[in-house]
Amino acid sequence: MTLDFDAGRYAIYVWPAFAISATAFAWMIVDSLAQARRWKRELERLQAEEQKA
Amino acid sequence: MGARNPLHVFDFLTNPERFMTFSRWAAPMFGVIAAVLAIAGLYLTFAAPEDYQQGDTVRMMFIHVPAAIMSMVVYLFLGIASLLALIFRHALADAAAQACAPLGAVFTALALITGSLWGKPMWGTWWQWDARMTSVLVLFLFYLGYLALRGALEDEQKAARAAAILALVGLINLPIVKFSVEWWNTLHQGSSTIFAKPENRLPAVYLWPWALMTLAYLSAFGSLWLVRIRALVWRRKARSLALRAAER
Repeated sequence: MTLDFDAGRYAIYVWPAFAISATAFAWMIVDSLAQARRWKRELERLQAEEQKA
Repeated sequence: MGARNPLHVFDFLTNPERFMTFSRWAAPMFGVIAAVLAIAGLYLTFAAPEDYQQGDTVRMMFIHVPAAIMSMVVYLFLGIASLLALIFRHALADAAAQACAPLGAVFTALALITGSLWGKPMWGTWWQWDARMTSVLVLFLFYLGYLALRGALEDEQKAARAAAILALVGLINLPIVKFSVEWWNTLHQGSSTIFAKPENRLPAVYLWPWALMTLAYLSAFGSLWLVRIRALVWRRKARSLALRAAER
């Protein structure tokens, strides 16, 4: 099976649709992981402070 | 010895500690499944032949339809989680609802944007106020309303309650989105996937990439949903620790 990446005269519609979808997924992944990392670190910091006190 | 409650099998979803243990391996697992399905789905997307009527724009079906399906599925989860949070005042159910909203909003925006990009070459217009497109726009506004309400009120419990009620009201829109193409005469076509009548169904060469991409979107959502709920569980614990420290 050969892959067809030539969208011809429809390329101006097809490729932006794929690019926007890829960007949206990239944002969802980065934002979700960043939120998780941020609050995990904050919790660990507060737990360490509580242990000291 | 008392009989074991059969509902205890769901403890991993209701007990925060067990949920964290479950989601620690389930989130990356769904992520890997999504990546594998997406690679296979994208391969078949670009291996599929051009449609005799739609030409190369047919490939947009494999990203537009999964996004549209996810916009409704995620809202359904948002509604169910909101209902459980309202009835049982369960923190994890509220976190599940809160974690749904930004992801659902992105899927709905994707459905609207990719639909518009597909509509222009096929229908000759970027947008039409037909029942399907308008009801999906309303769905998007419900997501935005939910997010705005959660951010607008300082009292988090009040914000959660108000947003949950809004989410439940928005459930009315789901059957309207789903059946709009049958109830009204719309520019948007009816279903042609596995949910359609056999005579309206896509041939296998288009059905396979659609199915793989839909499952990839679903698995990706599963993974990201769990990651975001984990973040909210940590946030809640951090906030209560900070409050305790401030009271000392």
